[in-house]
Amino acid sequence: MKTINIYYKFLTLLLVATLAVSCDDFLDRRPLDSYTADNYPFPEGGGVYDQEIFAAYGQLKAFHVSTMGFVAAANIRSEDADKGSSPADGPTIKQMDDFQLLPSNAYVNNKWIGYYTLVEKANLILQAVENDVTDTPEEIRTQAIAEARFIRGYAYFHLVRVFGNIPLIDKIFTDVESETNVPQSTPAVIYDFIEQDLIFAAANLPSGWSSNFIGRVTKGSANGILAKVYLYQKKWQQAMDAAQAVISSGVYDLNTPYDKIFGEEGENCSESVFELQCYADATYKASTVYGSQWSQVQGVRGSGEWNMGWGFNSPSEQLDNAYEPDDPRKARTILYAGGKSYYGEDVPIGLPNPRYNHKALGNPAKMASVGARSSFWMNIRILRYADVVLMYAEAANELGKATEALDKLEWVRARARNGNNDILPKVTTTNQGELRDAIHHERRIELAMEHERFFDIVRWGIAKEVLHAAGKTNYTEGKDELFPIPQAQLDLSKGVLKQNPGY
Amino acid sequence: MKRNLFLALAMLLLSVVSFAQNSITLKGKVTDPLGQPIIGANIQIKSEPQRGTITDLDGNYTLQNVSPGSTLIISSIGSRTQEVPVNGRTSINTILEEDYQTLDEVVVIGYGTAKKRDLTGSIVTVRGEEIASRPSISPVASLQGKVSGLTMVTSGAAGEDPTVRIRGINSTGDSSPLYIVDGVMQTSINYINPADIESMEVLKDPSSISIFGLQGGNGVIIINTKRAAEGETRVNFQSYVGFQVLEKKIKVTDAAGFRKLYDQQLANIGADPFDYTNYTADTDWQDEIFRTGFISNNTLSISSSGKNSKTYLNLGYMTQEGIRKLNDYSKFIGRLNEELKFGKYIKVGADVIGVYRKSNPAAGGLNSAINAAPIVPIKDADGNYYATPSFQRAQVGNPVAAIDIRDGCDVNDGYRFTGTVFAEIKFLKNFTWKSSFTGDFSFDEARSYTPLPFKMIYLGEGEAETEIYENKLAKTAVSHSKNFYKNTQQDHYLTYEQEFNDKHRITAMAGFSTTYRYNNNISGNRSDTTLVVPNDPSIWYLNIISPNNPGSYGSGANESSTVSFMGRVNYAYKNKYLLNATFRRDGSSKFAPGNQWGNFGSVGLGWIMSEEAFMKKLDFISFLKLKASWGTVGNGLNIGNYLAYPSLSTGGVAIFGNNIYSSVYPSYIPDPNLHWETVEGRDIGLESQFLNNRLRFTFELYNRKTHDILTRVTLPGVAGSSSYFTNLGTIGNKGVEILLGWNDKIGEDFYYSVSGNLSYNKNEVKSIGDNIDFEIFSDPNMTRSGYSIGYFYGYKKEGIFQTQEEVDASIQKGMAKPGDIKYADADGDEEFTPSDRTYLGTPFPKYNYGISLSCGYKGFEFSIDGQGVSGNHIYVQRRNYLYAVTNYEVNHLKAWTGPGTSNTEPILDITRSNNYLFSEHWLERGDYFRIKNVQFSYTFKKEMLQKLGVQKLMLYVNGQNLKTFTKATGYTPEVGIASTTGGRDNGIYPSPTVYTFGLNLTF
Repeated sequence: MKTINIYYKFLTLLLVATLAVSCDDFLDRRPLDSYTADNYPFPEGGGVYDQEIFAAYGQLKAFHVSTMGFVAAANIRSEDADKGSSPADGPTIKQMDDFQLLPSNAYVNNKWIGYYTLVEKANLILQAVENDVTDTPEEIRTQAIAEARFIRGYAYFHLVRVFGNIPLIDKIFTDVESETNVPQSTPAVIYDFIEQDLIFAAANLPSGWSSNFIGRVTKGSANGILAKVYLYQKKWQQAMDAAQAVISSGVYDLNTPYDKIFGEEGENCSESVFELQCYADATYKASTVYGSQWSQVQGVRGSGEWNMGWGFNSPSEQLDNAYEPDDPRKARTILYAGGKSYYGEDVPIGLPNPRYNHKALGNPAKMASVGARSSFWMNIRILRYADVVLMYAEAANELGKATEALDKLEWVRARARNGNNDILPKVTTTNQGELRDAIHHERRIELAMEHERFFDIVRWGIAKEVLHAAGKTNYTEGKDELFPIPQAQLDLSKGVLKQNPGY
Repeated sequence: MKRNLFLALAMLLLSVVSFAQNSITLKGKVTDPLGQPIIGANIQIKSEPQRGTITDLDGNYTLQNVSPGSTLIISSIGSRTQEVPVNGRTSINTILEEDYQTLDEVVVIGYGTAKKRDLTGSIVTVRGEEIASRPSISPVASLQGKVSGLTMVTSGAAGEDPTVRIRGINSTGDSSPLYIVDGVMQTSINYINPADIESMEVLKDPSSISIFGLQGGNGVIIINTKRAAEGETRVNFQSYVGFQVLEKKIKVTDAAGFRKLYDQQLANIGADPFDYTNYTADTDWQDEIFRTGFISNNTLSISSSGKNSKTYLNLGYMTQEGIRKLNDYSKFIGRLNEELKFGKYIKVGADVIGVYRKSNPAAGGLNSAINAAPIVPIKDADGNYYATPSFQRAQVGNPVAAIDIRDGCDVNDGYRFTGTVFAEIKFLKNFTWKSSFTGDFSFDEARSYTPLPFKMIYLGEGEAETEIYENKLAKTAVSHSKNFYKNTQQDHYLTYEQEFNDKHRITAMAGFSTTYRYNNNISGNRSDTTLVVPNDPSIWYLNIISPNNPGSYGSGANESSTVSFMGRVNYAYKNKYLLNATFRRDGSSKFAPGNQWGNFGSVGLGWIMSEEAFMKKLDFISFLKLKASWGTVGNGLNIGNYLAYPSLSTGGVAIFGNNIYSSVYPSYIPDPNLHWETVEGRDIGLESQFLNNRLRFTFELYNRKTHDILTRVTLPGVAGSSSYFTNLGTIGNKGVEILLGWNDKIGEDFYYSVSGNLSYNKNEVKSIGDNIDFEIFSDPNMTRSGYSIGYFYGYKKEGIFQTQEEVDASIQKGMAKPGDIKYADADGDEEFTPSDRTYLGTPFPKYNYGISLSCGYKGFEFSIDGQGVSGNHIYVQRRNYLYAVTNYEVNHLKAWTGPGTSNTEPILDITRSNNYLFSEHWLERGDYFRIKNVQFSYTFKKEMLQKLGVQKLMLYVNGQNLKTFTKATGYTPEVGIASTTGGRDNGIYPSPTVYTFGLNLTF
């Protein structure tokens, strides 16, 4: 009996010992079909940080960064566009158009999250560089940092214009439980931060990329956005200098005719300073993975072949009437129901909206080749050279340099004239106020239906006057310049975040 | 094992006692109240408990050498035990009455069995007969209303499992219980034939569930499948056929109502009226997407039992058509169970199940039928479908076209094979070693086809002409995917059983178990840019399309594993004082090394008062047990596999010109400290039976706390869109469960029973996110200490503003207009701010109750079950759809149109955004009572059948979900009860009403 006992004890002991050793191996299960941060085989050579960098580019064209909420905040809020679509559709966008915006509006919260995700993606690049203990050459590190800081600066520039007081996040959180409830910083602090990011980017980004990286941000992109950042702060001299850096780079010109800048044919033309790249073909189907719904949300809301999109951001009657006589830019900006498209098609009558954004209209040949009517493949123009030239003109005029301002203004008008000297007479006034009005008008027309108008009228201090004149009398000064801080974020913050005035 | 011991002892004693004087040979028959023989009933002599026999296939028994003055104890599982004095008779026929809660029954408790009376935990047993005749393809669905403390949301979709919660939500993560099928851990049990279930046990308290560890914190449901019964070969056939229909439609406006309301809405925002000239139809889209579905289940089982072997064979075929068009599901199940004995001490066995299933998904969206405008016709005589009007075209399509285009375009099927082998060795008298190995393999395959789109008719609106459009850009495509699942489990445990001096009864167990789960999938699709692939399922393989066409491909895999050690001691002293204790140590691969292991355990005490001398005098008390238990259980299986690891996502791309580049970013924010969630519970209970077991009463109080809840947390937006999964805090569930039952006979032939159960559960967050300095809020579900998880947080509604004066006198002055919702100033600051939001209700029912009545007379039996919940609210999220103009639910017909017109429905103006803030306006009461099941059956008299060689024949008609009494307006008040975002009705699949006719035949 005793021996049996010992035998059992021994066996049990053996079993337990074996189990103890093998258990930990048995329990070690790591992801099978995805890498982890520890085992990712980063590519060799120049593109060491490309994987993180490209993730940030992916986020740049995300729906809540550059599509509906983007178009609505920048243009539908202005007098140049109506909400569009059918009357009772898209009430959340209508709230923006009507200045009846509530903090609970879903687009407001999604914009917040979308742009902070973009900030996070930029910070992830910086973290990757910082954590890289290999002997990656300094210039590669610096260039990656520059690209990250450009994207971060760009994100904050939109956030500060839309929300005003916002939290400043410049790192990846190590403890999300205790670190993420960050209080807001003032716009002055944010602008200062943006300037530093963009100055660094401008100093360290290349002037251009090889043909397989078309659309990657450059020194020109950084200086161009930086010029605009200065302009918003009325730092006229710096704005002029930054714009001048773009102009004198020699990379860009205004030689592309106005009607060829938009649509598929004008993608990455000589005018393109910063342009979000989108793609689709028969294999890489129309989707937000490779493309964007930017064109779809503004697309013609018709039937059959004209069922191209949702019909938001419809050019307004005010914009229609704002053009100088026979300005050819109007036909490339406004697509009329019952009119003719840039591609020669007859647009049907009886569409739900009288006008659509012609600049977002896709080429029917491309539609046929992709097999879709919504133009997911269309690049989103963020910064055109004409914008930079007009920024120069505006800054120069504010500095009293009328001649230089007139010169740059004429560059833009001359291109618009397209050889027809009977239209768009040269502006000659050197009166600063008159010239200011002329430049403001030129910005409105040249960049109509792009992503400038609402922000421009706010920074020029004419928003109330312009919007009330256009019948948007709900606009309240001191409140509607900004979106509310999203209620969802206020709720999560337990009082750390403060609501914007008036909401 | 016990029985073998008894038999061996009986043999031994027989030789000693057989010379007893005047002994007689006793014969008899044991039947149930319907006259059906009870097979395998125990006949024992009271004075000589070692002696006994069992009835044969015809219910007959023979017992020799019985003293004429002795008393027989006749018992059978599921029946009330009887004591019959012999009084010198040589033939005693006995009728055993049914007893649903027999205390001497043996229950499966995990790694062994125990007498129910010896347990200190809370276990409810539901027998197979109560499940088999219910027309549910998933066996769990039949438990609804039968078990106190069990909340269930049944899905009406063909082949889908219901959501089950035991004693409330214990976690903000997945709170599904653990299923144990014949000892094997499963997350879904839809591969089991409901007709093949012997019994199901619901384990609710820590003292019962802690032995299972892993995921047991949410409760455990044990399923025991049938085995061969004692006796010769038997053949049983069970079958039902029936149909299911939608119980009720959601009330939406017809064409006239729609026109009225859309006109009103457009006028309210100053827009021109819509041109209805060509939209003259009045279509009820719900009638078009629902149908009457056929349902049937047929099972043939053969069992045979010999001296050294037992064989059980079961074949089943079931088919179910969903009430939504195209949705159907059918499966064939074959099962073979074999047990072999080698001598007295060794038993080996195997159980093999093979399943083939075939299904078709529902096509089109459920909500599209309530959203599509009724003014649109379906299709014209040429088969062209009508497009929806411009105001909803981008979001809502023709619901019928969406179904018809998918008709016959999916081929989904799958196989599942589950096999278990075991060996059991008894040694040294009191020891049993059992080892078992299980492999469970599933293969799912799906092929589908994208046909060319229908020609669509766009009706003219205003100046636009009507046109027929054929989309020439569309291409045909095929896709093909395969999934493979592999689950393995091994269990080894040693049991020690001993009785000392008739006073001490002890059962001890120590064991070891591992599980491993793996799955992989591969999928691809191609679309043909030059040819039109024919609509012929036999050729839907990717290679039918030339590889130079566009397509995409992918594959992935997942695995996880667990290791556990467990031990248990059950001790009973003098049949009166009970002690149950368990310990379990679990390791899981889902946590990072260092956090993988958790220790859990429980202690339970019981006191069978009715065994005490002073109680035995009280004749009206048949049984009385007091019990108390405490324990902890781990929870950690229902979470993602690699949450503690910094996994990377490569899904996003960057585009530069025409070049596509891959990218990488963190899939989520990992919590390296992620560890086990622990459910800690205390239970006090009373089990009792009175008046000769006719009256049953059980009462239980429980108090459970879930510590370190595993939760996905919404981070502040500045952290980006990454999700974060962590151990958060403590929540509590307190409750009471009461069960009361009565059964009796009137005269010889009429018997009846009534029973009801009621449970009350209070869910309360104790502390949440001690380290987290932000709110846990998924609008409108708020999770805060002191309230139930995910309670509804919003504004209180006081009515509708009738006049401008009323607006001006309110806190909403300047923000509202007449016709808007008037909100309460909840914080009393005389301003309308977000801090006026407050507690509006909980998505979780406070009360769950069930009631059953049954009665029988000479072979006829009638039963009715009802079930209900109370105390919860439903968020009618489907009405808060703000992206297009949709058809209106009829409540809008009462919309405010001027002073005095309505004080409940605000003005129909989608731009009055204040009316869309989350408030009581969007809530409705979730209380309901449902007539769950009505069954009428007839069992033929044996004499009538004998000539046909039939042993038993029962016919029945059954109706399920016959009527629901509720104020909720959705298809069903059974709205999802997922923890932090519960109670939202965003288009819930209806629970159908099912009528079936069935038979149960034994040869």
